[in-house]
Amino acid sequence: MAKKGLQTSDKDIINLAKIVGEKAILYKQPDLVAYDCDGFTIHKHLPKCVVFPNSTEEVAEIVKYCDANQLPFLARGAGTGLSGGAIPLNGEVIISLVKMKRLISVDLENRRAVVEPGFVNLKLTNSIANKGYYYAPDPSSQYACTIGGNVAENAGGAHCLKYGVTTNHILGLEVVMPNGEIVEISTNGVADTPGYDLLGLLTGSEGTLGIVTKITVRILKNPEAKQTVLAYFDKVADGSQAVSDIISSGIVPAALEMMDKTAIEGVEAAAFPVGHPKDIEALLLIEVDGISAGIEEQINQILEVCKKRNVREVKVAGSEEERGRWWANRKTGFGAMGAISPDYLVQDGVIPRSKLPEVLARINQISEESGLRISNIFHAGDGNLHPLVLFDARIPGETEKALEAGSACLQVCADVGGTITGEHGVGIEKREEMRFVFTDREILAQTDIREVFNPKNLLNAGKLFPSPGRCAEVKKELKEALKTS
Amino acid sequence: MSLREMDVKATPSCQTNSLSNYFWKDAPDENKWADCVHCGMCLEACPTYEQTGQEQHSPRGRVHLIKSVAEGKLVVDEDFADPVFVCLDCRACTTACPADVDVGGLIEEARGQVRQAMPLTGWKGTVSKTILEGVFPHQNRLHSLGSLLKFYQKSGLQKVVRKTGLINVMPKHLVEMESIMPEIGTPVQKKYKKQDVIKAKGETKHEVAMLTGCIMDVMFSDINESTINVLTRNGNDVKIPKNQTCCGALHVHAGDRETGRKLAKQNIEAFKDADTVIVNAAGCGCMLKEYPELFREEPEWHEKAEEFSKKVEDISKYLYDTGYEKPKAELNTRITYHDACHLAHGQGVREEPRDLLINIPGVEMVHMPNADRCCGSAGVYNITNPEMAGAVLESKMSNVPDDVEMISMGNPGCMLQMAVGVEKFGRNQKVVHTVQLLDWAYQKEDEKERGK
Repeated sequence: MAKKGLQTSDKDIINLAKIVGEKAILYKQPDLVAYDCDGFTIHKHLPKCVVFPNSTEEVAEIVKYCDANQLPFLARGAGTGLSGGAIPLNGEVIISLVKMKRLISVDLENRRAVVEPGFVNLKLTNSIANKGYYYAPDPSSQYACTIGGNVAENAGGAHCLKYGVTTNHILGLEVVMPNGEIVEISTNGVADTPGYDLLGLLTGSEGTLGIVTKITVRILKNPEAKQTVLAYFDKVADGSQAVSDIISSGIVPAALEMMDKTAIEGVEAAAFPVGHPKDIEALLLIEVDGISAGIEEQINQILEVCKKRNVREVKVAGSEEERGRWWANRKTGFGAMGAISPDYLVQDGVIPRSKLPEVLARINQISEESGLRISNIFHAGDGNLHPLVLFDARIPGETEKALEAGSACLQVCADVGGTITGEHGVGIEKREEMRFVFTDREILAQTDIREVFNPKNLLNAGKLFPSPGRCAEVKKELKEALKTS
Repeated sequence: MSLREMDVKATPSCQTNSLSNYFWKDAPDENKWADCVHCGMCLEACPTYEQTGQEQHSPRGRVHLIKSVAEGKLVVDEDFADPVFVCLDCRACTTACPADVDVGGLIEEARGQVRQAMPLTGWKGTVSKTILEGVFPHQNRLHSLGSLLKFYQKSGLQKVVRKTGLINVMPKHLVEMESIMPEIGTPVQKKYKKQDVIKAKGETKHEVAMLTGCIMDVMFSDINESTINVLTRNGNDVKIPKNQTCCGALHVHAGDRETGRKLAKQNIEAFKDADTVIVNAAGCGCMLKEYPELFREEPEWHEKAEEFSKKVEDISKYLYDTGYEKPKAELNTRITYHDACHLAHGQGVREEPRDLLINIPGVEMVHMPNADRCCGSAGVYNITNPEMAGAVLESKMSNVPDDVEMISMGNPGCMLQMAVGVEKFGRNQKVVHTVQLLDWAYQKEDEKERGK
C-alpha cells in the first residue's frame, strides 16, 4: 500500500490533508486517472485531488477552504451517474462522500430513515427488509449507487411508475452550502413546510447548489402481494400499444418496462440471460403489487390486453426466483451492452406514452442514418425512454457520430412534446440539449437561482446549463432590453 | 529525437500500439477491457473497494487504469503497481459484471507487465525467489519443507518456540498463521509413490487423474487422502501422475507468468493421458482451467492448454455430475459453507458442494450471509498485504454464524486463513474441506457395518 507521508509540495493538498488526514486524500497520477470520469465516459478530465471526508464538519471545512482559495470543487458518490455530473471538468477538488455511509436511524413508526449520502441505495432496503419495509426508488444501478447521488440526480427507477421518483421520497436534508455553511431543511423530516419548496429545488439540482450530507427518506411497507408478467411481441407497435392500453385501462402497474430487439440481444449475450426469444421485436416486463385481493384481476386484465395486441407469448412469474432472474436481466441491461459493443451512450428522453410507436420508429430511422445500432431499454409505463447508442470509441469519428445520434433522439422527444431527461440528469452530456426545451431567458432564470446559492460558481461549474458564453450574451441583451423599455 | 532516445524507444519490441506504455510480451488484452462500459455494478462486490471506498481499488477503476496505460496516459511504475497488486484476485467482480468482463485476467496480465518492468527487490524479492521459484515448483523440496515442519511440530521445538516467546521475532500476521498450522502428515505423493493406480473399491466405472497440489499435499495430506477414499469408493481408479507439479497459480497471481508457463507446460504433459483431472483445491483448479490464458502468444501450446483445461474438474462438481453413493451414517453436526472465490466466482461451482453436504444425514446447514465474499487468503496475499487481508478477514468472520461447529470449504488457502480467523476472533469452529465430511460419513458407516 501507499508509502507514509505526503509526497507533494502542493500547498492546497497539504492543507486539505490536514482536514481529512493523509490517508484520506488522493493526488497521485494513477489515482486521479481513476476519477477522470463517472458512468459517462465520453468526457474525461483529471481532478486536482480527491478527498474523503468522514463527517459533515469535515465537508464544511473542505468547502470553506476551497471557497477561500478559489478552488473549484464538486461532490461525488459512487460515480455511477450517466450524464457526467461528477466529472471534474475544471480540475476540481473531488469531495468523495463514500466514507459517509452510515445508516443513522430507522423510524418505523413514522416510516422514515436517516442516511448519510454515501449509503448505497439497495442497502437501505436490505437493512429494513426483515421488518417488512423498503425504500422505493430503485435505479438500475441500485446495487452500487449512493442515496446522495440519487438526491443530486433525482434518480428514478423501474418502480417509480407507481411510487414516484427520488424527490417524492425525500423528507429532509442537511446541506453544506457552497460557502461552507451547514443548513438543515425540514429538520424533523416533516415535509411540506411553509415557504418555497427547497427540498424540491435541491433534489435534482445535480450538485450545483450545495452538498447534501444527511438525508431523511420515506420508507414504505412491503406490498402484501406482487405478480410479474413477461410478454413477447413480434411487432414493436403492438408492444407499445399494449403499454398505452394497460395504463388507460386504469391499472397502475408498479413497473412497466420494455426492451427492443437489440437490447434483448445484449442482455441475452451477457451475464444474466433468461432465454428470451431472439426474433421478437419487443418484450414487456410488467409488475403489479398491492393488497392481495385485486392482484389476480389486474393480472388477468393485463393478459387480456396483451392478447388483444397480438402477443406471441405471455407468462406470469412462477416463483420469486424466476421473478428475480427476470429483474436481474433487466436491471443489468445497460452494462450488458458491453457484451455486444465496446462503448455506449445512453439517452434519457421522456415522451407522452401515446407517442411511443412514432418515437421508436423515428429512433430507428436515426439509427439507420447514422449507421450506429441503437437499442432501447426503458420505463415504458412513464414514457421514459433510454435509447442506447452503441459505438466503438476506437474508430475515429464514431464518438462524435454517437453524440449526434443521441442528440437527435432527444430532439425527437422534445418535438413530440416530451423532454430531454427523465432521471439521469443533464450533467455535461445534455447541456446543449437544454435549448430544445428552454428558451435562453428560461435558462437564465435558472442560472440566476443558482447564483443565489452558488454565487462564485466554484461548485460543480459547467454542468446542467449550456455554456455560459451564450448566457452572458443573453444577459446583456436582456439588460439592454430592460433599459430601453 | 536524439539517437539515444530512439534506441530506448526501439528496444521494446512487441509493441502494437504506438501509444501504449506496455513494452513487454503478453500485454493486457484490449478485448477484455473493451467489454467494460464503466457502469460500476462491480463496485460493491469488491472487498478492497468496500475497505477503501477508492476507485483505483475497485474493479472498474483497475480496468480503467490498465486501459489508460495502453492509451499512453499512464506508465507502468510503482504508483500503477499499487492498485494492481492490492487486488485480491477474488473474481467477485466477474460474477457481478453484467458484461462478463474478465477483470481477473486483466489484473494478472498487468501484474506480468509490472514484474517485467520492475523486478522485485528487497525482502519481497528474496521471498519470491526462495519460496515461489525455489520451493513450489520442486516436489522434493516441498516434501523436505513438509518434513521440516513435521519435525518442528513433533520434536517439541514448536512448543519451545511458542513458550519462550521466540516466536515473537516474526511479524504478527505470521505468528497468527503459525499458531493454526495443521498437523503435518505424509503427502500422498510420497505414500503412493510405488503405485501406478489406486484401484476403485469394487467395480471400476471411471478412471481419473488427480492433482495433488503443493500446499494441499504438504499441509493437508489428509484431505488428499479423503479425496482418494471418496473417489475410489465411488468406482474411480485414481492415478497420481508422478511428474506433475505446482499449478503455478501463486506465480501467476504474483505476476511471474514465465514460471507459470513453465509449470503449465509440465502439467499439460504430465496429464496428457488422463481424460479427467480431479482437483480439490479451488485455486489450483481455476488456474488449470485458465492455462490457455497464459499461451495467448504461443498458438501451439494454446491449443494444448485448451484441450487440457476442458478435462479439469473440481472434486465436488465431479461427484455431483457423475453420481455418488449417498452416505448412510449420521454425522449430527451444524455446519456452514464458505464459497472459495476460485470455486464460486472462478469456476461457477456453488450448488454442488452444498448439495454434497446437505445430503449427509444429520448435517444441518446454516446459511452464512455473503458466503461468496473473499476471506482475504488470496494465494499469498495474506503474507504480502497483511493489513488489507486482516480487514477482509474480519469482515468475513463477522458473517460466520455463531451456532455452527464447522465451516466447510473447498480450498486450502481459505482453510488456513479461516483458521487464523477462528483463532484471532475467539471463535471455536473447526475448519474442514467438503470432501473430508463426506469421507468421515463413509468411515462412520463402515465402522457401523463392522460393529454389526
